[in-house]
Amino acid sequence: MNSIRSSWVRAAILAIAALIGSRALAAPGASQESSATKPADQSPGKDLFEQRCSTCHGLDAGGAMGPNIQGIPFRLGADVVKSTIKNGMGGGGMPAFVGQLDDAQIQQIVDYLLTLTRKDAGTVTGDAAKGKEVYASSGCSSCHIIAGEGSDAGPELTNVGGLRGPSYLRNAVLYPGTDLPQARVFLETGGLLDYLFIHVVTKDGRAFDGTRVTEDSFRIVIKDANGKFLSFQKADLRELKKEPGKSVMPSFRAKLSDPQVNDLVAYLASLKGAQ
Amino acid sequence: MRIARYALLLSLFLVCAAGPSVAQNVPYERILHSQSEPQSWLTYGGSYSSQQFSRLKQIDKQNVSQLKVAWIYQPARPVANLESSPILADGVMYITEPPSTVTALDVRTGLKLWSYSPPLPEHVVSIGLYATSRGVAILDDTVYIGTADSYLVALAAKNGAVRWRVHVADNAMGYAMTGPPLAVKGKIIVGSAGSEAAVRGFIDAYDAKTGKRLWRLWTTPRPGEPGAETWGIGAPESAGATTWNNGSYDPELNLVYWGTGNPAPDFNDDRRPGDNLYTCSLLAVDPDTGTLKWYFQFSPHENHDWDSDEPAVLFNATIDGKPRKLVGFANRNGFYYVLDRTDGKFITGVPFVKETWAKGLDANGRPILNPDQQPTLGAGTLVYPSITGGVDWTSPSYSPDTGLFYVSVHETGAYFIKRTGNIEPGPPKGIVGGGGIRALAGEQSYGAIRALEATTGKLRWQFKLLAPAWVPVLSTAGGLVFSGTDEGNFFALDADTGKPL
Repeated sequence: MNSIRSSWVRAAILAIAALIGSRALAAPGASQESSATKPADQSPGKDLFEQRCSTCHGLDAGGAMGPNIQGIPFRLGADVVKSTIKNGMGGGGMPAFVGQLDDAQIQQIVDYLLTLTRKDAGTVTGDAAKGKEVYASSGCSSCHIIAGEGSDAGPELTNVGGLRGPSYLRNAVLYPGTDLPQARVFLETGGLLDYLFIHVVTKDGRAFDGTRVTEDSFRIVIKDANGKFLSFQKADLRELKKEPGKSVMPSFRAKLSDPQVNDLVAYLASLKGAQ
Repeated sequence: MRIARYALLLSLFLVCAAGPSVAQNVPYERILHSQSEPQSWLTYGGSYSSQQFSRLKQIDKQNVSQLKVAWIYQPARPVANLESSPILADGVMYITEPPSTVTALDVRTGLKLWSYSPPLPEHVVSIGLYATSRGVAILDDTVYIGTADSYLVALAAKNGAVRWRVHVADNAMGYAMTGPPLAVKGKIIVGSAGSEAAVRGFIDAYDAKTGKRLWRLWTTPRPGEPGAETWGIGAPESAGATTWNNGSYDPELNLVYWGTGNPAPDFNDDRRPGDNLYTCSLLAVDPDTGTLKWYFQFSPHENHDWDSDEPAVLFNATIDGKPRKLVGFANRNGFYYVLDRTDGKFITGVPFVKETWAKGLDANGRPILNPDQQPTLGAGTLVYPSITGGVDWTSPSYSPDTGLFYVSVHETGAYFIKRTGNIEPGPPKGIVGGGGIRALAGEQSYGAIRALEATTGKLRWQFKLLAPAWVPVLSTAGGLVFSGTDEGNFFALDADTGKPL
């Protein structure tokens, strides 16, 4: 193999990212239903994806030569994705599959991609309407935005029900930071986690905690619990600690009853895009 | 971005050094003695020894922090990877843009002088590789490029006019040219990619003036040929050992050194018992005849996609009191090797990244395998390094001033998975790999610039990077090591200590 790659990379990269992350980091009692631990789903969309797409996008669509496209139909719209599969993007990148895949097959691939970021389906047992009240009374909007309402210290939740399944959402409420999604894929060599908890101490002794916003080899930017961006040159830091499993978000384990958690999860799972 | 960094770097070197532009003429003797004109960069690795070392020293440890952008050239087609290293001669910089465009830039301004894009079929087959180009070769008044659809094209250096264009190999079968040609004594020597399409590798030489093919060296044997016994029942269809990067050349020994890639199918090795010559090897070839003079196989019976197409760095040093002609080779399999380049004899080899597949190397340099480190069905086997290896195609650098070998390493493992994989007759329908990998989860991989003692491989210093980087390394007589990150940084380190400057 050549090129940047080597080849196989293409062929394979990835999945483990999501997998290992969820296994290694899961807290006791956390969801044990992540896709990583399940036997392979032999859906036609998965088969097609592995045969035709995984060479460039990785076995789990997490990216290799091509980008991470887990859940991309949700972000861009299924029609855009179907059109891209059909017509390609030109210029030596994404090829056109018109004539090689029919519309039904393309739809199967799109359906499969949608399942990937939900991680695990789980089941909704609560009441979404009550969950909306729990959301409002628990202060969630002081850190999260839904359809334009709220603050942005934490990730926006407007589409979270489309991107994540109920079990994942439950785990995030009870054990924040224990099952972080992949943020960015290095070219064929692993990647970074989203929302990673960072602790830094500057050379003059000041300490800061926050969620990583972005990082390169020389600099890092974090967002603290108040949503404030803090940027650092690594050369100015005495300590830079990355702590998967921790989060600036508090756990709601002791704050909500089981029925309240079920309702909240039902509400979050119902959020599938701004109206 | 890789190219942008390089372009910038070289332009900074040259702004002061280059005289008025003259007609392009780079005879073989100029390349041979490139050390006498450090303001030029006449072959892919900076010289036939592929040391990626610049003798310019105006930019040094004291003033490098004052470097500023001189100009930026925006490539026209950002859709594929920019992996080009520029050639620079007489005030003109020749770069390639993906997939197979050659662009000549005025080095003082960064403005485009001319550009050539070959005719390409609507569907270029690029299996197991990116349809891109790592650069051109220049010889006399002509610039040469191997194209993504496997043609070799000769262009007038002055204006990009096509002098000749010859068919090298069948792109429909998976042959694709991404590596820079090597210009030696009136010949243009090229290799090809395509191991993942299960093609059979080769090295070709063409007459620089006419484009006539002078010789071809196949890099896997057919039944009855030497080495066929190393393929078991797979000899009739032995495939792989492609030659997709650039070669080095020793004019005194009159040997061209060229690396070869993995066997095919790679992860599923059921049908190719044996060492599978001459895959994952360094070949020493007589450029006049195409005769194989010696070979050294780094990874016999390879099945982790660890091609040995990395650049062979030629240097001379004293070992045990004796002056030796050496080749340093940072292999994708995670070991750094020192060989005698006169006969290919193994001198030493040590890991330069974490590796779990071998206990070490024996007295002849053959790996002593660890058990249970082969690709397996199902969830796969965790092995270090990953599929991209300790380093891939990105050139390392050797500084004769420090005696150090600088390499941008990938510290990461992967789960290697074996699947079915048979070579079918006819054009490939996809990757003929027989498996794949899953990468590690987030936060477990990183990169680094490492400085190794060139004669021993002993680690002298390292500078860590957030991500494994796909950027070559350049060292200079100014005591600097330049490289970049995949995040977009271009940086300089102290060549003696690794301290960022």
